[in-house]
Order: sequence, then structure tokens, then C-alpha cells
Amino acid sequence: MRTMKRATPILLFIAALLFPASCDTIDCTLYNTVTCQASFYGDGKAVAITDVLTVTTFGVDSVLINQQRDTQTMNLPLSYWQDTDTLVLIITSDTYALLDTLWIEKENIPHFESPDCPTSMFHRITSARVTHTFIDSVTITTPLVNYDQAENLKIHVHTGN
Amino acid sequence: MIKQKILRYTFILAISLSDLCVVAQDANTGEEIKLPKHESNLIADNAPVFGGIAVSADLVGFAMKAVNARFANMEVAGRLNFCEKYFPIVELGIGDCKKTGGDNNNTFSCTAPYYRVGVDYNMNKKMTGNRFFIGLRYAFTSYSYSFDNPDYADPVWKIHSPLTLHDMNGKNQWIEVVLGMETKLWSIVRLGWNLRFRNRIKQKVSEYGEPFYVPGFGKNGGSTFGGTVNLTFDIGKTAKKNIGK
Repeated sequence: MRTMKRATPILLFIAALLFPASCDTIDCTLYNTVTCQASFYGDGKAVAITDVLTVTTFGVDSVLINQQRDTQTMNLPLSYWQDTDTLVLIITSDTYALLDTLWIEKENIPHFESPDCPTSMFHRITSARVTHTFIDSVTITTPLVNYDQAENLKIHVHTGN
Repeated sequence: MIKQKILRYTFILAISLSDLCVVAQDANTGEEIKLPKHESNLIADNAPVFGGIAVSADLVGFAMKAVNARFANMEVAGRLNFCEKYFPIVELGIGDCKKTGGDNNNTFSCTAPYYRVGVDYNMNKKMTGNRFFIGLRYAFTSYSYSFDNPDYADPVWKIHSPLTLHDMNGKNQWIEVVLGMETKLWSIVRLGWNLRFRNRIKQKVSEYGEPFYVPGFGKNGGSTFGGTVNLTFDIGKTAKKNIGK
């Protein structure tokens, strides 16, 4: 009994030390980039845009892709709050410049993991449409835009471009 | 049909309990033999079938709330005592959490009740005033939680807007394995502590994100450790008999 009474405060102290120690880890997702992945296709096969490609946002002075060559896949950050994002795609070479506009309609889904981690915004693409200068059409392959980095859009370009 | 089954199992349980805590009896007459305390302090010889009730409060939860810890599980419990061996227990509590992230100004908050039912088994074979418990709990909670980011900035599209997510609903169920001990302090007052391994069995949360904290469980995850320090008031037959040496 005496041993028990002596041991109890010591064990209480150890238990008190253990409680906070078990609660202090922060587990944030390491890969926390959320971008819409769009790839170029021609005649049903993946193709690269060999000319210089620039992608800008419409209405906001932001350049998403700046003068990139040999582009097969683009990672496009979508807006957190807008229902429709308007992107301008420009292809330039020595002799010509071609411009198309891509509209992406979406639902925005806030996502959080812990107060210690950055908040993210996922998206669910509901529709996508384009003008047809060098792009033929666009199809949605994976509507949900999240950490998975799956291909979300297929951009079919006119053959020969 | 179901009623009959319930009655049958209740009867079997009652018989089992009475078998497990055998009070010393005369083989011929069946009368109870009262052994002097100095001759036997074994639970099997002394404990009545129903030893009374106990109520307790977890001191850690209230202390954590008092010092403004990130979260606190404030709980009370009611416990029965069968044969000084089996202790069916019900625990009711309120979990409270408000946590703000370091660099992000994110704030998570949740306050909700939780419930646990289970049983403790006293491994001490002697009536020494001490109890060594191993136990099991089933716990559940249904709660609402909130997440706020007052300045949620979109760096590319340059739109700043507060992110306010309120009234997100969650439900959790989990089991707990309990190891603990308690000792008699004075009269019917007891002090004890226990360590608990908690393992989630079911969770339903908002599509926006999992809660940082689950009431009664602690920091959310597949499993976690926890514990309580209980001030217990043991009321009933055993409390009077069980005078610690």
C-alpha cells in the first residue's frame, strides 16, 4: 500500500508529461500544389507545341506560362473565387502569332487539413470551351482539380499547327 | 422472440457474475461464512455481488481548460461495481478546441459532447484499497466544426477574400483500450489515472476537410493515445468495506 501511494504521484507526473508529447506533430501534405493540368493532342495522339507558347489570364495581369517551347502539358492555376476563368493562349513564331481563348467554368471547393497547414482550393470543372484559331476543341478528362495532378483537360489542336 | 433472447442472455450474465464472485459458503448449509479481515483479504472472499456505484471527474480535462490549452476533454463518469471485479462505466464529456495556425491565421474551433460506454476489469485479487484496471470502451460523438482564414489570398488571380466555413458536421466512433490504476485517498475518495489507446472505427466529415480535433478523441487521426486522472467518489457496500491497509 505504501509503495503504491509513493508510486502514484510519480506515475501521475509521467502521465502528465506524456499527454502533450503525443499531440505536437504537424502533418501537412508535402505536395500541396493545385493546378489544372491540360495537355495538347492532335489526331488523338499527344503532341507538343513546338512554337513559343504564352498563357495569360484575362482581366488580371498575370502570366501563367511565359514563352515556353515544346509544350505538351500545362499546369494552370485556377482562380479561388471566380466561377469562370478566362485564359488567353498565344502561339508565336517568326512569321505568325495565333491567339485562342479558353473558358473554364468550375465550382470552387475550399480544402483544409490543419490550422498549421496552408489552405487550398480544389475545383470541379463543369464545362470548358474555346475559340478555334489553332485549337479545335477541348474535352474534360478529370473534372476534379486537386493534389492528384491528374490530366484534367485535353486540348485538341488543328493538325498541321 | 428478441425479447426472449434478451431475457435469456441477461439471465446467463447474472448467473455468470454470481459464479465469478464467490462468497465463501459452508458446503453443507450453504450459509455465508464471515471470515475475519485478518484471515482473508481476497476479493473472492469479501466482495458482494453489487458493490455500489461511483462517480468521478477527469481532472486533466478541467485543468487543460483552465490553462487555455489547445483542446480539453472535460468529462464525468458513472460506474457500477460488481464483485469488486467488473466495473461497467458510462463517461460523458464536452470536448472543446480552438486552435489558430502559426503563419496562416487559420482558426479551427469545435465544441461538442461525447459519450463512452464500456467496462473495466480489476486485476487486483486482494481488497487492499487499490485497483488495477484493464478496460475497453466504445465511444461516439456527433459535432459541428468551423474553419476560418480571415485573409485567404489568391496569389495568381489577385483576389483576397476571407474563407469562412461554419457548421460543418462530423460523426466519429472509436474504441479505447484502457490501462489504469486507482487508490484510496480518504474514506470514499479515490484518485486514479489511466492511459488509453484510441482507435478510430468510423468517421464522417465534411468534404471541405477533416477536423483537426474530435471531441473525446483528441487530435484527429487513425489512432492516438490519451488518458485521464480521475477523482472518484466510491459509494456503496465495497466503499465501506474496502478500507485500504
